[in-house]
Amino acid sequence: MKRQEFEEAALPHLSEIYRTAARLLADSTKADDVVQDVYLQAWKSFDRFEVGTNCRAWLYKILFHVVHHHRRKWFNARMVKESDDVLDQVAASAEPIAECLTDEEILGALDRVPQDFRAVVLLVDVEEFSYKEASGILNVPIGTVMSRLSRGRKLLREQLEETAQSYGIGKGKLEGRTA
Amino acid sequence: MKLVQFGDNSCARIRRYVDSYINNELLVETNHEVLRHLETCPACAAEVESRTRLKARLKGAVQNQSVPEDLQARIRTVLREDSRSSFAWTRWVSAAAAVLMVAGGLWFELARWTRPALPDLADRRGQDVFIQKVSASLSAVLKVGLGDHIHCSIFRKYPKNPPSVDEMAEKLGPAYQDLVPLVKARVPEGYQIILAHQCGFQGRRFVHLTLSNGSSLLSLVITRKQTGESMQALTVSDHASGVPVYQAAAQTYDVAGFETDQFLAYVVSDLGARQNLQIAYVLAPSVHQFLAAVRG
Repeated sequence: MKRQEFEEAALPHLSEIYRTAARLLADSTKADDVVQDVYLQAWKSFDRFEVGTNCRAWLYKILFHVVHHHRRKWFNARMVKESDDVLDQVAASAEPIAECLTDEEILGALDRVPQDFRAVVLLVDVEEFSYKEASGILNVPIGTVMSRLSRGRKLLREQLEETAQSYGIGKGKLEGRTA
Repeated sequence: MKLVQFGDNSCARIRRYVDSYINNELLVETNHEVLRHLETCPACAAEVESRTRLKARLKGAVQNQSVPEDLQARIRTVLREDSRSSFAWTRWVSAAAAVLMVAGGLWFELARWTRPALPDLADRRGQDVFIQKVSASLSAVLKVGLGDHIHCSIFRKYPKNPPSVDEMAEKLGPAYQDLVPLVKARVPEGYQIILAHQCGFQGRRFVHLTLSNGSSLLSLVITRKQTGESMQALTVSDHASGVPVYQAAAQTYDVAGFETDQFLAYVVSDLGARQNLQIAYVLAPSVHQFLAAVRG
């Protein structure tokens, strides 16, 4: 049965799709709606999906399509202009803050990274898609993936440092706090 | 892969490639250069360590987010409803073609046989038409239960997390709040009450509990009898500890009903006739006893 085939192929990826959507949108309620839309659209276009190919990447592509579709409605998209000198910048040395912050604080910092950059960080660093796969999912050139990733990681580190400093655990004040 | 030559200011330059190093994206030669630098530079080594830990923490934080327990069930419901609509549409087209070829007189028979497409959540009028069409073959007394099930359980977007037992009890009111534990204790394993409240449909008030087994929705619908309403004219499908249970199918739904002097009660689902009747059989005696004791 076709629907059973679809469910067997697509539903195992539900949790990661939801989690990515939740971070991409920084809103679990919107993520819930978006994920339902993703699965409905995937189901409607399942005829065009070639069984045996990368179902996970296909679902992510649909996820970004759906998010893009809702974007105007939901976001006053705060775009950060990408500049060519991004890769030439030397990131400030990051404090070892990873152990000092909770999951919620790390996710909060990630949410403050502009969406285009956050998307690439989520795809490459969290979901471990290759640059090529991320390029296909986002429909942008590989070079753009690489520059957004570099910028996204740097912005995330900056946000984490700000968070850490706001708790008074900036440079040299890391002791006494656990993740 | 990137090939980088390190010379003066190598600390500054290596920082640009730390992420590529962590992700194993550098050429072997460059990788060796980075490694050599890290052996003699505690600051850059600490930077690598810090970013590696950060990447792991980020991944862990995203993956530790909880996923709504009923999300999969809701998606299955959406898919199932869409399948039915599409299937109905396909059949509608086929039927229409056949009718054109054969005779106009067959049209109504085929149309009656075909389930209408599920209207949008915001399309109230479309929903009423849908309910009318789906329940057309039922007796009037059973239409009451099916109508509220479709109106209130199917045309609904459920919250991510079901309300708590206390919230449901509050929405049911003091007279009916004990139905929640009563039903919860009797339904088969795997069923969860996801909604319990009082609602209105077509001028009637209902006490309504919606349950989900992860892929299907089932309703226990209760309403006060109006003048002359009774199920006694229907054919009994089963007796549950002396309580007659009447069941009929309406397209993909099955409606099981039982009654007290004052109330009509229904178990409605698309689980199939056998399973729907089994659940009605399990619930009927205790719900019947509960309703018989309701005063006022």
